[in-house]
Amino acid sequence: MIHHVMGVDGSYPLLVALWLLPLAGAIFWWTFGPQLKALAGWLGSAAIAGSFVLTLLSWGAGTQSQGGALGAHQALLSWMSGFDFGLLLDPLSLLWTSIITGVGFLIHFYSIGYMDGDRAFARFFAYMNFFVFAMLTLVLSDNFIGLLVGWGLVGLASYFLIGFWFERPSAVAAARKAFVMNVVGDVGMMFAIFIIVANVHSIGFGDAFAGAGALAGPSFFHLPLLVWVCIGLFIGAAAKSAQVPLHTWLPDAMEGPTPVSALIHAATMVTAGVYLVARCSPFWSASGDAQLLVGTIGGITALLGAILGCAQWDIKRILAYSTMSQIGYMIMGVGVGAYEGGVAHFFTHAFFKAQLFLGSGLIIHALNNEQDVRRMGGLAKKLPFAFVAMLVGVLAISGVPGLSGFFSKDAVIYGALEHRHPWLYGVGVLTAGITAYYMFRLLFVTFFGTYRGGVDPSDLGIRHPELAGTMPASHAQEGDAAHEAEHHHAPSWIMNLPVAILIVPSIVAGWLMVGGANSPWSRFFASQFAPIQETGQAVAPSISEGVTSLVVLALVAAGFAIAFVRYGTRAAQADAVARLRSESVHMSPLLTNLFYFDAFYDLIVVRTSQLFGTLFGRGVDPHVIDGTVREAAYAAGQIGGLMRLLQTGLVRFYALVLVFGAACFIVYYALAFGVAR
Amino acid sequence: MTVPIGDYVGLASVLFFIGVAGVLLRRNPLIMLMSIELMFNAANLLFVAFSRVWAANAGHVFAFLVITVAAAEAAIGLAIVVTVFRAEKNVDVDEVRSLRG
Repeated sequence: MIHHVMGVDGSYPLLVALWLLPLAGAIFWWTFGPQLKALAGWLGSAAIAGSFVLTLLSWGAGTQSQGGALGAHQALLSWMSGFDFGLLLDPLSLLWTSIITGVGFLIHFYSIGYMDGDRAFARFFAYMNFFVFAMLTLVLSDNFIGLLVGWGLVGLASYFLIGFWFERPSAVAAARKAFVMNVVGDVGMMFAIFIIVANVHSIGFGDAFAGAGALAGPSFFHLPLLVWVCIGLFIGAAAKSAQVPLHTWLPDAMEGPTPVSALIHAATMVTAGVYLVARCSPFWSASGDAQLLVGTIGGITALLGAILGCAQWDIKRILAYSTMSQIGYMIMGVGVGAYEGGVAHFFTHAFFKAQLFLGSGLIIHALNNEQDVRRMGGLAKKLPFAFVAMLVGVLAISGVPGLSGFFSKDAVIYGALEHRHPWLYGVGVLTAGITAYYMFRLLFVTFFGTYRGGVDPSDLGIRHPELAGTMPASHAQEGDAAHEAEHHHAPSWIMNLPVAILIVPSIVAGWLMVGGANSPWSRFFASQFAPIQETGQAVAPSISEGVTSLVVLALVAAGFAIAFVRYGTRAAQADAVARLRSESVHMSPLLTNLFYFDAFYDLIVVRTSQLFGTLFGRGVDPHVIDGTVREAAYAAGQIGGLMRLLQTGLVRFYALVLVFGAACFIVYYALAFGVAR
Repeated sequence: MTVPIGDYVGLASVLFFIGVAGVLLRRNPLIMLMSIELMFNAANLLFVAFSRVWAANAGHVFAFLVITVAAAEAAIGLAIVVTVFRAEKNVDVDEVRSLRG
């Protein structure tokens, strides 16, 4: 439909506009933010909306297949042989671009209401636009270097936005933690790219995937290079997508404003690992070891995130662990080779998780930045719209039939079985049950019963009330009476509208995946992913997909039933305060300490570094380094003392030395080469 | 008639050692500078003489170079002498020993 904008050589300049529009927005608001603050929200959102419209216009170009190449391509820069930089829009990057700009626009729009009154309003939109640009760089690059640059830039944007309220030490610490853990991943990725470039002599995806066979041959430490490449890439993916054991930064990242959590730490950035594995499907398809590794890590993360989600009281942290768990599903899906299923779960998750976060933002905004669910309760009557939004989100994420999460989660879980990983299938089913439990727990505790905002925090088992509901300083400082009253108001239409729009895809997005191999989803990705090698074609398991769906549904029902008995019954609601207190006080230390991951890192990394720092600071630096410097200085002084004896200040003495030296030369040459010829 | 090259070398040697003696023995900086000029010109004489012998022009070119450098040297030397005289009210090089280490 828009073939007229295609260049003659298959180039597609529209991609550049699509890519750079958010960057233009970011630069503009960085420069003129303080002067044009009032416009930042609307125009910042408009930049993303423009990118979204361009994405929709590119739909035809992105899905076409031209001369064996899938999608639209735009060359940007040719550096040297094998180092060509360009943009690629194929079905996979088209899917990501649509979510980044589409859901990104809705969240920008929501932020106009949510961030209203913040003194750094324009800076917020500059960062958000910058994030969208960085994420587009990541998914649109047609080469590994561009991917890595985007990878680093989204980490930077994430750092900016987690630490957005930098007056709070906890936000600064969380931002730093996220950045450092992501750099660990970046290093892993860099090594993988080194191996690729050294062996394939090109950074382009096409060349690298064509050379996957060459990488499978040579081995290093008993593993083919291809497996090392997959391991390196997956370290990057694990850090970015919060997979065990590099997941600890994600819950802390909830220190950022809620729209940031929705956009970056739920819908888009944290799914970059899923994109990476799906993009590199030729590598994974050729290596059974890499499939097993990534599938297992994904399964462990899904289960661990779900278990930790049951033990949280901060509404955003519950959602953060649920995000970690759902990304575990996606990684498990793409890891075992069920690329369509893993990517499908990304697609539906982006909608319902953004909706859950924005819904929780409505609550947090209405309750003046209260985030502890123990101090909520009975909100269904106070905030009926937020209740509906959260209800739809909870139903979707739990996998209730008919809503989007059901179809995509089913695709992942059945995919694990289809690719002969029965253990991962079991983990997936179990996690689905736990997911239903903790999401309905969230729903019951927050919206049912009576409002507990007036109850003494210690009666609810909140040990440090001053730490529990952290209030952004920027909001608290403007705490005059009029402002307080305004914050207790129901959220404006600006915040409700994006949530209302997101309800629609949260329900219907999964319908695209109905119909097996003939579904619109499968046809969209028909020639995107490399077929699995080694294990052969997917073997039809003895259990049909319908039966596995029933097993999953049974566990979801069980999870719901447990949540209902513990939090939803009339008796439980009447006794809520005592029950919540009892649960908080008697929670297992294993859960309150989050399986000791942070303590482990503290011991291994932080304490060890401090020990070495002390050792070097007290021993090596003063004695070895300073000692060497002092000795060198003393020696120079001594030599200088000897040399100054030559400086008599008597010019005729100098002249005599000169003449004597010249005479020595003459005598030497005369003796060495003979006086006469 | 041509003067043999040996005579040029002899004359240049005499000029050069007069210059050396002047620098080493006299204490007046102006005389010392003049003695240095004498040594320069001894070298110039050899350049030109050997240039004739070998029928090559490089020696002439070097002679001009030496003249230029000698002019520059004399300018700097005289400037130093003037400056030292202003500071010390004295131009005897043995008395001016403030650079002693």
